[in-house]
Amino acid sequence: MENPFSGTAFRPEAAFAGAAERFFELLKTFGMPAVGQAPDWASLAAPLAGQFEQWLRMSQSAGPWLAAGASTWPGMPGGFAAAPGVGSFGALPLGPAAVQGNDAQRTFELLGRLAQLQAQLAAHWSEIASAAARRFVARLGAAGGTVPTLENAMKLYELWVNCAEEAYAATVHKEDFARLQAELANTSAALLVEQRRHTEALVRAFGLPTRNEIDALYAQLKELRSQLAELTRAPRSAGAAAGGEAAARRDTGAARKRARRGAAQPSGKAPRARRPRA
Amino acid sequence: MKPPGADPGAMFADLAVRAAETVSRLRQARDVQVGCSAKRPVWSCGKTTLYQYLPLAEAARKRGPALKPLLICFALVNRPYILDLQPDRSLVRRLLEAGLSVYIIDWGDPDESDRRTDLEEYIERHLGGSVHHILGSHGGEALNLLGVCQGGVLSLIYSALHPDEIANLITFTTPVDFHTPDNLLSKWVRHLDTHLLESAGNVPGEMLNALFLALMPFRLTQQKYVRLLAGGGDQGAIEDFVRMEKWIFDSPPQAAAALAQFVRWFYQENRLIHGTLEIAGRKVKLGDVRQPVLNLYSLEDHIIPAAACAALKGHVGSRDYSEAAFATGHIGMYVSRVAREEIPARIVAWLKAHR
Repeated sequence: MENPFSGTAFRPEAAFAGAAERFFELLKTFGMPAVGQAPDWASLAAPLAGQFEQWLRMSQSAGPWLAAGASTWPGMPGGFAAAPGVGSFGALPLGPAAVQGNDAQRTFELLGRLAQLQAQLAAHWSEIASAAARRFVARLGAAGGTVPTLENAMKLYELWVNCAEEAYAATVHKEDFARLQAELANTSAALLVEQRRHTEALVRAFGLPTRNEIDALYAQLKELRSQLAELTRAPRSAGAAAGGEAAARRDTGAARKRARRGAAQPSGKAPRARRPRA
Repeated sequence: MKPPGADPGAMFADLAVRAAETVSRLRQARDVQVGCSAKRPVWSCGKTTLYQYLPLAEAARKRGPALKPLLICFALVNRPYILDLQPDRSLVRRLLEAGLSVYIIDWGDPDESDRRTDLEEYIERHLGGSVHHILGSHGGEALNLLGVCQGGVLSLIYSALHPDEIANLITFTTPVDFHTPDNLLSKWVRHLDTHLLESAGNVPGEMLNALFLALMPFRLTQQKYVRLLAGGGDQGAIEDFVRMEKWIFDSPPQAAAALAQFVRWFYQENRLIHGTLEIAGRKVKLGDVRQPVLNLYSLEDHIIPAAACAALKGHVGSRDYSEAAFATGHIGMYVSRVAREEIPARIVAWLKAHR
């Protein structure tokens, strides 16, 4: 799915140009007969459905929510549609000893599953496209010929979008579609996790720090920062408390509160302290 | 004689000219600025920054009896500048004009060091730290809290856990019941493996954007652009459009742990409604939200259905509950006529009545 951030910069004109191009294609498919010519709406359904299905496959190939994300989730292969099942996953090119055969087998299984799920998804796109075209043609049936003006073209387009959204909603609200979406997401995530596991094995082989080790360091650093902040705040709070009766009253209240919360804090997390009110 | 434009060739030629002009106008508007009111950072925790909006001189002169400071808690999944997009589309500006002291939380951009940041940390340390900073600065015992969208969920939880710190609570397009039949997002994520999701690491903002756009893909990725062809070519309108585009596609990444918890606890298990949520070892009950509550939501919201928000009424413990539903969509709550004229007035009037 194109968006204004496609590529490296914010380019709203690119998103517009893509939509305008498809709008022109759609108008050509509509035919927009000249005045006096009888429209042949019935023959419209098949090409309209075909064009629509192609767009759905292109824009939402990996499922609605992985289409854009697939190329941006770090490490996730983009362009599932172009080459289903053949992404950047696969045997890593740094030596067979680093990745065990069983690991590679698991990756291939996941890739195979992903290809199966995408085929199921394509069947849904086909169903949506056909249903949208049928709805559109049925609603046009009562309409007479239209004068090919911008206003009429926009009316036709609005009608088409309404039909497309209705057909889409009718399918995507169904339980089987929801389960398929979830399984696509779960399989994609599993592939990503698998790829990271391979990478962890490799970096260990090269004596480099692993993701888990870095995560542990981050956690330690965070805890130390938190403790440092508490230590820094404590003398200031004490000073502020000595500064006035009102401040002292507040601090007593805050201390009571801290004590109450401290009891509720799970181990490993320092109780939160109110900042000085000076 | 044919009416003007009756020739399909002429229509396509006209459209081609319009398209070229629109591309040019969009390109000119690409660097349009977002966010208009002056603000300063006053506190931070991790990637989170608490900002204080500077009071408007005019408002300060005509200020009446002081209201409690207002803290705006925005969603984790979007940027908060939508509330202050441009002078004539700014909830923040309207609140400042009414003389309110306004603060806002910007959650920032979580990176890999934040992948284990969870909801407890966001609520207790980041939101709680912001509350305490404001209370410290203003010397009061409690403040007013405005929770927006997902931020409304965090605000409800905080208000339930720390009732003495929140005087009045405003929820703004805030989902409470995540299992209403019309909630497509909920249906889609119901079967997600959240443990796997968490293992996969932080989720890029683009992925969430794709998810939101996929709820209504033809309107949101095609029709809104095509409609520009029929516009009058007003550069101001194009700039307004581009500001919205910037916001829509400028989504921060999501900390893996917090997002996984949000999906599991709310979208999958509907814990707010079932009363099974625990934060920091404490039960969170909506019945414990006893502050005066103003619940604002939209009737045509494709992301958070009206019924999901309206459910608050039946579960909140407050005896002073009021709500207002607006005939607009999710985005319309931020930038439509309703957002400009009705919502700020409603908030200000309610806060003045609850000093």
